[in-house]
Amino acid sequence: MNASGTLDPLAARDAGLAIDRELALLVTKTVTPLAREGNEAPRVCEVEGGMLNSIGLPNPGLDDFARTVLPAVRALGRPLVVSIGGFEHADYELACRRLDGEAGVAALELNVSCPNVKSGCISIGSDAGETEAVVRACRAATRLPLWVKLSPNVADLAAIARAAERGGAHALVLTNTLRGLAIDHWTLEPLLGGVTGGLSGPALKPVALAAVHICREACDLPLVGVGGIASGWDALEFLVAGASAVQVGSAAFKEPLLARRIREELVTLLAQRGLAGVGALKTTTLD
Amino acid sequence: MTPSRVAACEPLGPYVQVRLEPTFPGGEPGQFHMLRALSHDSFLARPLSAVASDASGVTFLCQPRGPALAALAQVGEDVEVLGPFGHGLDARAAGTAPLLVGGGFGVALLAPLARLLPQAELLAAFRDADAACAAELVPSAEREIALPPANVLDLLAARLPSASGVFAAGPDGLVRAVAMACAGAGVACQVALEAPMACGYGACYGCAVRLGGQIVRLCVEGPVVAGERVAA
Repeated sequence: MNASGTLDPLAARDAGLAIDRELALLVTKTVTPLAREGNEAPRVCEVEGGMLNSIGLPNPGLDDFARTVLPAVRALGRPLVVSIGGFEHADYELACRRLDGEAGVAALELNVSCPNVKSGCISIGSDAGETEAVVRACRAATRLPLWVKLSPNVADLAAIARAAERGGAHALVLTNTLRGLAIDHWTLEPLLGGVTGGLSGPALKPVALAAVHICREACDLPLVGVGGIASGWDALEFLVAGASAVQVGSAAFKEPLLARRIREELVTLLAQRGLAGVGALKTTTLD
Repeated sequence: MTPSRVAACEPLGPYVQVRLEPTFPGGEPGQFHMLRALSHDSFLARPLSAVASDASGVTFLCQPRGPALAALAQVGEDVEVLGPFGHGLDARAAGTAPLLVGGGFGVALLAPLARLLPQAELLAAFRDADAACAAELVPSAEREIALPPANVLDLLAARLPSASGVFAAGPDGLVRAVAMACAGAGVACQVALEAPMACGYGACYGCAVRLGGQIVRLCVEGPVVAGERVAA
């Protein structure tokens, strides 16, 4: 599946790229209760080992999303994971109630880890008590499976993972981006309009792998690995570390159909080891 | 992705004309491709617009300011190509007396349009005579080049009363000023905007530009937009 915020399947189709056909699930861009413009430009820059983004969660707001975006994406025929974000617990609860029962939605991904907003998101996911409370409130508001996407920018990820589990999470998504900064050599100013941004790409992979390992030890939840995945080998590493599934994000920007290559490479790697499939690696799976 | 290779590089002032072969769809004037030189293997591709395309290859104008673009300007370099993407310049709106207004590197975008509009006059602004070499790419018979302290907007103002349409490409400040001038004169205008891009196909939400009070994705809504959206 794609990482949240790294694919607009409808825009991709308009550009001649049927990326959705290569994915088992489609993860939406994070939607917040009210519409957001996002951060000022520039929003992206390349850095050593990947890129920084300071997109800032632009989205049409929950009502417009449910009314116009969701039906259009649903029509592509793939199960959807809707990423929801917010600035207080009530925001997440509201989204859960609104999306509960929506056809085509297989799960909700709670974004408690975006580093590009002035409040909410990561400030919730950095605190075990806040994380547990948000997940618990969401669990009471919907019967949809809840995947909680965590930040690597925390001191005790194991504690956050256990808190999400206590709150009733069904899975963890590991990880969101690392906070970073880049300076323009011409202007000597930050390259991003939002000053700091989230680091993704190869530099994030060891961090996300460690996060999967830590959470595998800390809790019993199924894990979705994300961070710098660009090959079958990368995906296999996350599965070995303890993930049951993976998401591909910024590596697809230069190779839109990357998911197909990863799948083909992974099948080959597993066959070389005499394994029939991913299930032979792991005992926990995402339903 | 389409594989191609740098077949030729020709310096043009501070720029380099990079010809890729074999050919691939060159797109409409003003559309763009995402190019990545494999020897440098940058994490992100770079957006560039074709200045010419034919049955054997596609030519881009490149300003090799960093290692990724410098790698693209090397003969023999293997290149991955995505695109063409975006909305291009619509020559059907030109009328009988169109103006092409370009600044610096942006003049390259106007080259393929000029071939479709032989009646168009080119007004171009450059920081110095060396950079003004880029105007050679535009085959307009009628042209005026503005070097400091001359101002291309003065050249435009003199011609707007008789212009049937304006196409502009170049630095953000210039094209927005052109859009405002055209709006004031009631002349239809199309402008090509620029923004840092990570993907080029609407996935990353990175290429944000403000149009008419809204922030939109330039790769989805542009890069060519109606001047009134910029002037609003």
